[in-house]
Amino acid sequence: MKKFLALILTLAMALSLAACGGGDKPADSAPADNGGDQQQSQPADSGSSGGGDESYNISVILKTTASEYWSYVVAGAEAYGKDHPNVTVKVKGATSETAYDEQLNMIETDMNNADIDGYVIAPLQADMVTTIIAGQTKPIVAVDTDIDAPEVLSFVGTGNEAAAKLGGEAAAKLAKERGWEEIKCIEICGVQGDSTNEARKAGYKAGIEAAGGTFLEDETQYANAEANQAVACMEAIMQNHPEGIAVICANNDDMAMAAARTAAGNAAYENTVFLGFDGIQSACNSILAGEETMSVCQEGYNMGYESVASVVRALQGETLDEFVDAGASIVDPDTAQARLEQLQGYLA
Amino acid sequence: MTKKKSGAGVQLGTVLALVVMCAFLAIADKNFYSYSNIMSIFKQTAFNAFLAVGMLLCLITAGIDLSVGANAIFCACLMGALKNAGLTNGILLMIIAVLAGGLMGLINGTLLTRLHLPHPFVSTLGMKNVLWGLALVVTGNQMINNFPDSVTFLGYRTVGGSTPNNGFPVSFIVVFVLYIIMHVFLTRTALGRSIYCAGGNIEATRLSGINTANVLTFCYTLSGITAALGGIVSVGRSGICNGSMANYAYDTDAIAACIIGGASFTGGKGTMAGTMVGCLIIAVLRNGFTLLSIDSSVQNIVLGLVIILAVFMDVVRAGLEAKNRRMAAAAKQEAEEKEKVAK
Repeated sequence: MKKFLALILTLAMALSLAACGGGDKPADSAPADNGGDQQQSQPADSGSSGGGDESYNISVILKTTASEYWSYVVAGAEAYGKDHPNVTVKVKGATSETAYDEQLNMIETDMNNADIDGYVIAPLQADMVTTIIAGQTKPIVAVDTDIDAPEVLSFVGTGNEAAAKLGGEAAAKLAKERGWEEIKCIEICGVQGDSTNEARKAGYKAGIEAAGGTFLEDETQYANAEANQAVACMEAIMQNHPEGIAVICANNDDMAMAAARTAAGNAAYENTVFLGFDGIQSACNSILAGEETMSVCQEGYNMGYESVASVVRALQGETLDEFVDAGASIVDPDTAQARLEQLQGYLA
Repeated sequence: MTKKKSGAGVQLGTVLALVVMCAFLAIADKNFYSYSNIMSIFKQTAFNAFLAVGMLLCLITAGIDLSVGANAIFCACLMGALKNAGLTNGILLMIIAVLAGGLMGLINGTLLTRLHLPHPFVSTLGMKNVLWGLALVVTGNQMINNFPDSVTFLGYRTVGGSTPNNGFPVSFIVVFVLYIIMHVFLTRTALGRSIYCAGGNIEATRLSGINTANVLTFCYTLSGITAALGGIVSVGRSGICNGSMANYAYDTDAIAACIIGGASFTGGKGTMAGTMVGCLIIAVLRNGFTLLSIDSSVQNIVLGLVIILAVFMDVVRAGLEAKNRRMAAAAKQEAEEKEKVAK
């Protein structure tokens, strides 16, 4: 239906432009983050939430809907709507995780929409959103990334930094088990300056150092979250460190997989731990194939479901916890198959 | 003759497209015509409208400025860095931002006219990356907030509302005034007409005694200044600046607004009124997408189609105009021949 409406809109514009598009004579030159552990396949339902007769319209505005990870958050939020017929969930997101202005416009538009009863927001830039939601009296719940504002009743998530720290510790531990005496780690980053990127970097650093390793911050590579650029970064790392590096961590699974493929065949990197982030299906397949070693994952599906449930509870007069810890987990060769089946189930 | 243009030089088809879209959205979602939503559209239009001013000037000269978005974010980040360094005078911060934006524009113009880089597409694309990097360098890769009220005033404040931000946006008022000034400048001044002439036929313009290098440099410098104004609005709207934002394709929306509004990649065409309607069409489209909860993949498809459609209509218009010219010339020649025969 939405696609139909969009096409109608385009058609209307096309006809309008075409109606008067030609025939002009020349004007010349005159200007005329979650979910507990990965075995938790279904979120705990929220008691009576959504069970009343009153109907609610909930707007879910995510960082983007154009990635596999966020498609699980979408699936979770929409699943709540399916489980509770009196709750209408409308999910939207920016076209990419750097489309800050686009998300800002979406939030601003929905904040002025009288039909919406409550909001779930995953902010691309939390401080940016604070300005727009100032004074809003309808319930707002932050998901994945917290928003420090009095209007936000609760935060459902883990936080990228905490999740990355968990991954850094696990990677350093595995590297030791693989025989590395000196645990050195180099990160292949995403978009420099992006808040998610910086949080994950800080988390990896904290995790590696907590496990007794050394995070080579000065040698951080920036690949703009793209696999192609990650290949070039990995080649540079191998040039600079022919002796091998214990842990290569990346800000997403795409880059971790690309780095692992690039290093394949280099004996010095045979036992290197390639750590990714997100735990998406392709990462699980890569881990099962022995390429990427492990991935940090947040339970997007449960985050989406629980955040909508929280808004509904607030609308029903319940007081929400300020923080709902969604947890994070690590996908490794032992758990990759189960994780893969779980993810496929979410999108089925 | 401009039979299908209004007095301000905007294609009636473009205005009709905006009206039809608004009517459709009003039927599809009753909240579209609420006062607060209309004000949101004006707020959302302002940033792109500032960028589109400079873009239009460059397009009229048959050029392009792909660095407008990155320049806006760089100027915002420069203000943030100076604020963090202890400079808290908002007026001074804005003056520095405008000067910095103008300087970047001047460099773009100089690269094109004095260093003879083949096409501004190349130099401004390079400048976009330079500004993206500079924005990250000056902010130290960090997001900066807590700007003085005098800086955020332009992008945040409104007039006539019950609270400081629920009335008519100051940013759109400034845009409106700027567009009127630019309209008068382009249509009533010698320099404004020179810009159109340079876009129509740069060699003929040069031979007629106009210093085309200075005209082009002026256009790119002004483009940098209006981009800086956009950056100031951006800081006011969001309350922050972040160097990573410079990577976003803000220039695409600015180009689309100009082309939808009647500008042409071949130069010599485009008006401020048309560009304003183009900016409003893009803002209404995005606003409508949000109200209708249309997902991002479909948004990309529709916006892409709108841009392609606008360029296609430009090509059709140019073809019809050429045909009209040929027919007019043939008719004139025929009339002259008949006159000769009669004599």
